[in-house]
Amino acid sequence: MYYGRSVRCGARSVAPPPGGRTLVKKTVSVFALLGANILGGFAIQAAPVQGAAQAPAMTVGVRRITETQYRHTIADVFGPAIKVEARFEPERREEGLLALGSAMLSLTSSGFEQYFALARSISEQVLSEQGRETAVACQPTDAAKPDAECARQFVARYGELLFRRPLTPAEIQSRLNISARGAKQTGDFYAGLELALTSLLVAPEFLFRIESAEPDPAAPHQYRLDAFSKATRLSFLLWDTTPDAELLSAARSGALHSQDELERQVDRMLAAPKFNDGARAFFADMFQLDGFGNLVKDPSIYPKFDQSVAEAAREQMLLRTIDLLVRRQGDYRDLFTARDAFLNRSLAAVYQVPYASRAQWMTYVFPQDSERSGILTDIGFLALHAHPGTSSPTRRGIKVLEIFMCQATPQPPANVDFSTVQDSTKGTVRGRLLDHMENEGCSGCHRRTDPLGLALEHFDGLGQLRTMENGVPIDVTAQLKNITIEGARGVGEYLRNEPKVPACLVRNVYSYGVGEKTYGRDKAYLAEQTKAFIASGYRFPALVRQVASSPEFFKVIAPKSKPKAPVAEATVTQLQSTVE
Amino acid sequence: MKRTERAFFAVAAFAAPCVAMAAWTKTYVVEWNEPAMYYGGKSGVIDPGTDCPSGTNPEIDWVKVMMDAGYTREEAEWLRNPANPTRSPVHGQNQLAFRGKDRANVYVNPTSTPDPGLVGVSGTIAEGIDLDGDDATGFTSPDGEKGVDNNFYKTLGCWKTYRGPRRLSSGALQFNDSMRNGAWTTLIVVAGRGDDPMNDSNVTVGFYASDDKMVKDGNSNIARDYTFSIKPHARYEAIFPARVNNGVITSTKPVSGVLREPAYWRDLELERAQIKLTMQPDGSLTGYVGGYRPWEHVYKGWVNARGPVIEALTWVQLPGVYYALRRNADYSPSGAKGEKTHISYALRVDALPAFVMTPDAAQQVAAVESYKSIAPPDTSRTAGLFSQVVDGLFIDPKAQQQAGPDAVIVPPANLATAKE
Repeated sequence: MYYGRSVRCGARSVAPPPGGRTLVKKTVSVFALLGANILGGFAIQAAPVQGAAQAPAMTVGVRRITETQYRHTIADVFGPAIKVEARFEPERREEGLLALGSAMLSLTSSGFEQYFALARSISEQVLSEQGRETAVACQPTDAAKPDAECARQFVARYGELLFRRPLTPAEIQSRLNISARGAKQTGDFYAGLELALTSLLVAPEFLFRIESAEPDPAAPHQYRLDAFSKATRLSFLLWDTTPDAELLSAARSGALHSQDELERQVDRMLAAPKFNDGARAFFADMFQLDGFGNLVKDPSIYPKFDQSVAEAAREQMLLRTIDLLVRRQGDYRDLFTARDAFLNRSLAAVYQVPYASRAQWMTYVFPQDSERSGILTDIGFLALHAHPGTSSPTRRGIKVLEIFMCQATPQPPANVDFSTVQDSTKGTVRGRLLDHMENEGCSGCHRRTDPLGLALEHFDGLGQLRTMENGVPIDVTAQLKNITIEGARGVGEYLRNEPKVPACLVRNVYSYGVGEKTYGRDKAYLAEQTKAFIASGYRFPALVRQVASSPEFFKVIAPKSKPKAPVAEATVTQLQSTVE
Repeated sequence: MKRTERAFFAVAAFAAPCVAMAAWTKTYVVEWNEPAMYYGGKSGVIDPGTDCPSGTNPEIDWVKVMMDAGYTREEAEWLRNPANPTRSPVHGQNQLAFRGKDRANVYVNPTSTPDPGLVGVSGTIAEGIDLDGDDATGFTSPDGEKGVDNNFYKTLGCWKTYRGPRRLSSGALQFNDSMRNGAWTTLIVVAGRGDDPMNDSNVTVGFYASDDKMVKDGNSNIARDYTFSIKPHARYEAIFPARVNNGVITSTKPVSGVLREPAYWRDLELERAQIKLTMQPDGSLTGYVGGYRPWEHVYKGWVNARGPVIEALTWVQLPGVYYALRRNADYSPSGAKGEKTHISYALRVDALPAFVMTPDAAQQVAAVESYKSIAPPDTSRTAGLFSQVVDGLFIDPKAQQQAGPDAVIVPPANLATAKE
C-alpha cells in the first residue's frame, strides 16, 4: 500500500511529496478503500479555502501532534476506555522545545504504519458492539447495508472533533464513499464506518495541526488566524488536546474573534481540570523530560536506579511543578528554593529518607539544613543531566542555563581532548575540569556553564547526596562572574533572583503556544508579558491567561517559503531571533 | 487499610504499653537468611570436605529401598520407571510412602521402618551460638570460638538441601528466592540507651514481620534504604535483650520467640533464643539467631511438602531424618531430664539498612517493643499450609486408584491398558 505523500512542516506549506512506500500486505485491502480518499481529502485542504473577503486563505503553520496530544484527543473524543497502544514517532527539540521541533517534523513510512495500525485499533474499539451504542447516535435503517445519512452524521460529528474544524463537503463525501463501499463489501454498516473513522484518524488534518489564516475583515489586505485555528491553539496550549464542543461552537460562530469571548474561553479553560494536562505537557516539554525515555545508569555504580525510579523521578518533577504552579498557584521562583518534594517509596530510598505513608505519593519536607533546593535537586534533574556513571557539572550547568534561562551553549569543538576530565577515578570533578579548562578553546564556555554545575556537586550522577569523591571532600563553592554561589541552595537562590528566569518562562509559554521561535519584533511584547508576569506574583496561570488572551498569540506569520504571497508583503516581516 | 484495621490501630495506640524512646535506633530488613550450615569443602557445592568427608549424601537407590520394604524387583522398578508418571497417585512416587511394616506410611509412621541411617556432619567446625554457656560441648566456630551448639547442622549438614557454601545451598536458594520475591519480609530493630551505638550495654533487638515487600535493585540484589512498616503479628516476633561491644550485638538473656523460617515449616519457634549480630562498616548487619527448636516440626515440614517428592529430589529418606533428629535432639523445655523435644539451631542472617515504621506507617520506630497485643488473630498456622497434601501425599481424589498399603502395583503386561 502507499501513503501517497509526506508532509513537510518546516516550510509552512503542505505539498505533495514524491512517491510512497510499500507497507504490510494485510492492510492492502483496507487501504485500497482508504487511499484515494485520504489523498483526495488532503488535496482539498491543501488548496486555498475561500474566505469571506474573497481573498484566498492560507496555511500558516503545520505541526505534528505529540503523543500526549494524540492520547488526550482520543480520550476526549471517544472516552478514556479506548486503548492507545503504539510506539510513536520520535520528536525533535528545537530552541529548547519539542513544540518548536514539531513544526519541522515529517512522517516516515514506518511512522505512518504505526498511525495506521493505531487508527484501525481505535476504530475497532469505538465501533465494537459495545462501543457503537454510545459512539453512533443514529440507527442505520439496515445494519447490513450502507446508510448515507447515519454515516454522514457520524463522519461530520467525529470529523469536526478530530480535524478541529468542520469538514468540507468533499471531505465528508470521501468518507461516505469509503463507508458505503466498506458496508457493501462486508455486509456490515458498522464495518464501513470503521473504515471511515480510520480514514479520519490517518488524515494529515488530524495528525498535524494545520493552521489557516483568513483575510481580516477589520484590516484590509491583512490576514488573521481563522477561528478554528485560534481555538486549536488555545486548546493545545491550555489542555493539550483538541477543542471541546463549546470552544468549537465559539469558533463556528466567529465569537472567538472578539476579545471578550476569547477571555471568557481562556478563563473557562484555565478553571477546568484539563488545565493540569496542558500545564503538564508544557513543563514536560520545557524541562526536557522526554530525556527519561533514554536515561541509563551503570547499575554497578547506581544500583538503586531502574526504569521505575526513572519514571518516578519524571513524575516527581511534574507533581512538584503542577502542585506549586497550578494547584496552589504559587510563585514560580519557589520552584528553585522549596524544601519539600513529592516522593514515592522508590524515590524515598534513593533520597535515603523514610516513606511515612501508605499512599502512592507523599510530600516530604527536607530539614532546614538540607542541601535539597527545589527542582534543581530533584533526582530527576540531577540524574538526567549527568553521565551514566558520574555526575557532570558541565551538563548540569548547561541545562540550568538552557532550561531555566533560555541560554544556549554551543557544542564543544571537535578536537577537544576529554581524557583528563573523563577519568573519574582520581580527585574531584572540579579538579579535573580545572585541568580541562587549561585548554583555551574550552574555557570560554566552561567558565559560564560549570560554576552552576559545580555548586550541585554534592549530588552524584543519580542525585544522591554525597560530600566526598574518591576520598576527597567536594567543594561546592562556585564563582559566577562577580557572584559567589555556595552549593545547591545557592544555585536555587541565584535562579530565584535572576531576571532571565521569568523572562525565559514567558518566552517558552509563548513559543510553545504559537509553535514559533521568537524574533526581534517580539522583544517588546515579551518584555511586557514578563513585566505582567512579575506583577502577578510570578503566577503561572496568570501568565498563560495573559499570553493566550493577547492578540500577538494569534498573529499570522507567513511562511518563509512563500515570499511572493501578497499577505507576506503586507503584514509580515521576517525578523531576527531574539534567542540569545 | 481496611476500616477494621484502622480502628484496631486507633485502639492500639491507647492500649499499647508505654515504651521509653531509645537513645539510638538502627533498623534493617533481612535480605537473606538460611540455616547456618558450615561448608567444609574447598570448592563446589557438594564436594567432600571437613564437614562431610564423603561429600554430600548421594542419591538413593530407591529400587533397593522398596525391595527392602517387601516389594518385588518388578514392582520396585515399575514404580521407579521414569516413563511412569512421577506424580501419579496410582503408580508413581506416592507408593514410596508405603514401605513401613505392613506397608505403613513411613511419613506419618516413621518408626514403622528401621532407621535407614542418615550420614551427618563429622567435622568439628560449625557456625552458631553457644546456647548452653558450656564451651566444652558443641562445635568450634570458624573463628575458633568454642561451645557452638548446632545439632541441627550436625544432623542434616550433609543433606543436599542444606549443604553448600554460604548462600548457595539448594534449600537456601529456593526459600530466599521466595522471600526476596515478596513471600514475606522480616525486619530488625536495634535500639540502645547509651551514647555509642557501637558500644552500649543496654540494647534491645526486635524481629518483626512486615507486609511491605523488598525491592530489587539494578543488579537484582535487594535495595537498601527502602521503607517498611511493622505488621503486628501474633506469632512472628522476637525481642532480645542484648549489649553491643565494638559493633557486635550479643544476647544478655535467652528468650523465647518465633521467626519466619525460610523453609516449608514456616515457624522457627525458638526456646532459649540468643543473637549474635555484627554491625558492618557498610551499614549492613550479619550474624546468627540461635536457639532450641522443636525437631519434630522440622520433620513434619518436609513430610507436608510432599514426602515422596522431597525424598526423590533431595536424595534423602525422611524416616532417616526423623531418627537422626530424634537422636541428636539436645534440649528439653521441661528440664535436663525431660524428653529432648528440641534441637539446637542457628539461623544465619544478612540484613540491610532500611527505614522501619510503626504499624500505621506514620513514623519511624523509636524503640523496640512488642506488638503482639495489637496483632490480629492468627489464622495461618503452618499445619494448613498444603491443603491438598494428606499424610505427606498429594492426593488426586478423582483418580480411579490410589496409592496405599493395598494398592495393586500394575504388572508391566497390563501397562498399556492402565488408565489413571
